[in-house]
Parts: sequence; C-alpha cells; structure tokens
Amino acid sequence: MILQGLKIALESLWANKMRTFLSMLGIVIGVGAVIAIVSVGTGSTRQVTTRIADLGSNMITVYSRSSRGQAGRASTSSQEEFTLELGDYMEEFCPSVRKVIPTKQIAGTLISDDVNVSATTIGTISDYAQVNNYEVARGVFLGQDDVTDRRQVIVLGAQLATDLFENRNPIGQKVKMNYNGRIYAFQVIGIMEEKGGSMAGNLDEQAYIPLSVAMDRLTNHNYVDSLIAQAYSSEKASNAVKELEYFMITFLDDPDKENFRIISQDEILDTVSSVTATMSLMLGGIAAISLLVGGIGIMNIMLVSVTERTREIGIRKALGAKNRNILFQFLMESLSLSSVGGMIGISFGWGIAYSLSKVGDWPLVIPTISVVLAFGFALFIGIFFGLYPAMKAAKLNPVDALRYE
Amino acid sequence: MSKVMQIEKMSKTYHLGKVKVEALRGVSFEINEGEFVSIMGPSGSGKSTLMHIIGCLDYATGGKYFLADQDVNNLNDNQLALFRNKKIGFVFQQFNLLPRVTNLRNVELPLVYAGIPVRDRKKIAIKALQDVGLGDRIGHRPNEISGGQKQRVAIARALVNHPSIILADEPTGNLDSKTGLDIMNIIKKLHEEGNTIILVTHEPEVARYAKRIIHLKDGLIDKDEVVA
Repeated sequence: MILQGLKIALESLWANKMRTFLSMLGIVIGVGAVIAIVSVGTGSTRQVTTRIADLGSNMITVYSRSSRGQAGRASTSSQEEFTLELGDYMEEFCPSVRKVIPTKQIAGTLISDDVNVSATTIGTISDYAQVNNYEVARGVFLGQDDVTDRRQVIVLGAQLATDLFENRNPIGQKVKMNYNGRIYAFQVIGIMEEKGGSMAGNLDEQAYIPLSVAMDRLTNHNYVDSLIAQAYSSEKASNAVKELEYFMITFLDDPDKENFRIISQDEILDTVSSVTATMSLMLGGIAAISLLVGGIGIMNIMLVSVTERTREIGIRKALGAKNRNILFQFLMESLSLSSVGGMIGISFGWGIAYSLSKVGDWPLVIPTISVVLAFGFALFIGIFFGLYPAMKAAKLNPVDALRYE
Repeated sequence: MSKVMQIEKMSKTYHLGKVKVEALRGVSFEINEGEFVSIMGPSGSGKSTLMHIIGCLDYATGGKYFLADQDVNNLNDNQLALFRNKKIGFVFQQFNLLPRVTNLRNVELPLVYAGIPVRDRKKIAIKALQDVGLGDRIGHRPNEISGGQKQRVAIARALVNHPSIILADEPTGNLDSKTGLDIMNIIKKLHEEGNTIILVTHEPEVARYAKRIIHLKDGLIDKDEVVA
C-alpha cells in the first residue's frame, strides 16, 4: 500500500511539474541554506582554530592585571610581583609546567635611516621562539649570551623588516629605538618567518630584544608584563592552568584573581568556537524558519490540490479506495515534495558551501549532522503540513466528492 | 434465482439547514441475480439518492438494505469501501475517468484497491479494454478519445472486479443518440452474459432496454412493472 500510494503520488506530482517545482522551492532553499550556513560556520571556525592551534596549544599566559581607575596601569604593588623569580617559582611549583618565558613589552618607535615605525617590541629570552613554535627566516633569534651580556641586538618581524628596510638586507644593520625620549641603538641579527595575524595582534609587526636590555637599560624595572608558561603537552595544559591559578592565588594572596589573569589557548579556542557556534545557530535558526515557511507553502499547495481534485477523490472512493488509501496518497505527495526538495536542497547547499569555501579559503566541511537534521526536518515538515490536507481529503464524503464540479 | 439485493422501507432525509427534505419515503424492492432493472423517474423523484445508497456511497436514514446478505447500514467506512470495490461496478453519466492517467491505469484502479498484484492486474485490465473494443487505446488518456470510447473505458473499469451489480447512472446522458445506442447494446450484451444490471435513467427509450422498470415518484415507488 505504501508503494502504491507513492506511485500514485508521483504520478500526480509529475502531471503538475511547474506547481510541484514551485512548492518544492521553499524546502530546497530552506535545506540548502541550513547546510550552506552550517558548513560555512564549521569551515571558517576550523580555519581559525587551526591557526590558533598553530601558535601552540600548550601555551598559557599569565598577565599582571591592571587595577581599575589607574588609566591602564597595573597597581604597582601587584605588578612588581611579576619578577623573574616568580617565573622560576612557577616552574618549581607547577608540575605540569615545563618552562616559563618572561616577556616585557616596550612601546617605542623604531628608526632606520629616515623611516620611523612605531612597533611593539618584546623583551624576552632565547627560548621564546622555540616555545612559541616560531622560527627565524633569516639570521638568528636572540641567543642566551645576548640576554646575559645585555647586548643591544634586535630580531624583526617579517612585515616590520620590510617596513624599515624595504628590499635591503637588514641583517647587520642598525636600528634606533626611541623610548621615553631616549635613543637606543640596536643591531639587527634576525628576521622572523611570516606568521600573519593572531588574537594578540599581528606578529609580523613585532620586534624582539633581550629581556635584560628591556628591563635594565630601557625601563629599569625589575618586573615583567607577562609570563608565558609552556605545559609539557597540550593534554597537560588544563592541569597547568589549574596549578598556575592555585599558585598565583596563593602567591599573591589574591583569592578573587583581581591582579592577574591567566589565558590559555584552549580558552581562546573556546571563545572563538562559542562565538562562531552562536552565529551558526542564529543563521541556522533563520534557515530553519525558511524551512518552516516552505512547509506552509507545501500545505497551501496540498490544500489547493485536495480541493481541485475533490472529484478525483470521489472517483477513487467509488472504485473502492479506503479512507487510508486516500490519506496515504496525499501524505505521500507532500512527503515526496519535501523529500525530493530536501535532496535538491542538499546538493544546492553543498554547491554554495563549496564555492564559499573556495572564496574564503577554508576547508569544505559539511557536518553529517546538519545534512541529517535538515533532511529530517524537511521530511517532518512534509508529514506535518501534509497531514491536515490529507486528512481532509480522506474524510470527504464520496457522494459530495463525486458531485463536486 | 437467488437474491442479489433487497431494500426494505428505505428512507432518506436530508437536513438542509432547518429544512427537512425527504428524498426517499419508504421504498421496498428486491433484485435477483441476472436481472436487468431500470429505475425511472423525473428529477427530484429520489432516483439519484436511491442509486447512491445502492452503490454504497451514502447511508439510508431509515429501513434496511441487504447486499450479498449483509446489512449495509451496519457497515463502517472501510467495509463500505470494500463493498464498492468488490460488489458494485459504476458507470456514470460524466464517465468519471481520471483525466491525467492512461485508460489502462483507469481500468486498473479498482484492482489496485482490491490489492491484486501488478502483473495480474495489468493482464486483467488489458483484457477488459479489449472486450469493449478498445485494445488499441490502452495507452491513451481519456482526453484523447471520444465520449463513446470514454464510456466504454468506464464500462471496462466497472467490470474488472466482477461485481455483483453493475450500476449505470444515465450512461447515455452525455452521448449523442448513435453512440448512446452503441453503449446500450454493450450493456444489453453484459446482461445477456449473466450480469445483474441496474440502470438509472429518466429517458423511457433507454429504460426500455431493461426487463423490469421501477418508476419512482416523490420518494416512493409509483409502479414496478415487468416489460418485454
């Protein structure tokens, strides 16, 4: 009976090709939109998350946090706690932490011949590059001797090197830094590889100098801005976060975590994922509404179809069709409409997702769940919105239906 | 001869708003197997109502109707559908063929609802079309053939399930007189082959093909006469 109903349904859909196509369109667009949107959402998220993961998923940064009302300045007391010794203690007391890299940010202007570029210069130690999974393209990164001997050497980000020296080879050249009204001279020893943008800004526009120079010569501070802790592995990262948090709370006697902030790559990933997930959910919801509208379109067409074919229903009943035969016939019709529409919608959505992934240069990801959900929802809509017209058809009185003009 | 159907004091009352319309007011008769009966009467005499009830398309509001020894008034929707399928073969004035499917498919329909397997029903339907002289119109659609041919398709469709009664409602009403004659000759032949036929008409010339004529007037039997 199911097969029979399906055959009759397909016959009558085929007989009204244009109408069939138009009533399917709502479902096609709805399913296509759901699939395309979810695919774009997942694809672009994956693109961003791979970039972040490239930066090292076992990195945890501990910042000293500015207190409120001091114009961005950290309250001196807690800021001063961020000493090199603090880093040593972290290594000692947090078993999941392998290495702690202190960094001090210097906001100064870099000058080469006539070009002035204001850049973020980071004072750090030689392990910084290796821990961050970051390599030099030319020359060398800061060496241990550079730090211990307070040599005034500098390593430039790729973009920064181009800005300062254009096409000339910067290695061995002098760069001056204007910091707090004083001029310091640095020798360029290395150029970093290109890394592109990140959550922390464009790495290619940063420069690196020995931490000792930044602390003792430039600022004369005996504290740093942040301590980058490297966990033994990405699996140990969440343990490391807990250990560091406990350590910092105890060390600073700061149970409310007011004077420090710990950011892990996981946390950044979570933020990115949740933002894009919310976006996808919202857009997917809009697409689902269009599916619903498509369903109402199907119901509309089916109701017209029932009225228009009242006589046919009468004839079928006179020839022995039971109510459930008629119910099935019309239900199958709306179900065929929505399922064929759903299938066209899937390929349509795939096409859009494919072209957008080419344009946006992210991987083409079509989650099975989105296909299953969109198609399932389409089928559900076919049944739900087909049921009322089908029941109406099935309940027609044969005499009245036969007399209908 | 055995009884095919029996009607006892059948009445049918419609309620059109507050107006009560008594279409049938106690009609009784019985029809034996192999009979050819005409039901005649002017419009408004209740003959359409009677036909619908005999055809199991409608319920009587009073009296009894036995078809194949079953009290039809006690049947539910599904059983009525089964009776329409197995016991009754309809031939309508407006042919009532499905316009968008082929003649073959039209004739197949009662077999579809009877649950006959695809291969058998195709064979049966083709045979039925050949019997009414339309073996070369199997793949045509009803709008591609003449009125007389349409009515022959309808007759083929009425016959495929070997019904107990062939119920013809003004079968010549939409045909010219010559084609009408052809159709009546086919119906006559069906009677001669042993089928039970009930013919509803208001035309005396058509009614005269039957062996018995039941005259209806104002919802009552006016005269039940055996002719020829």
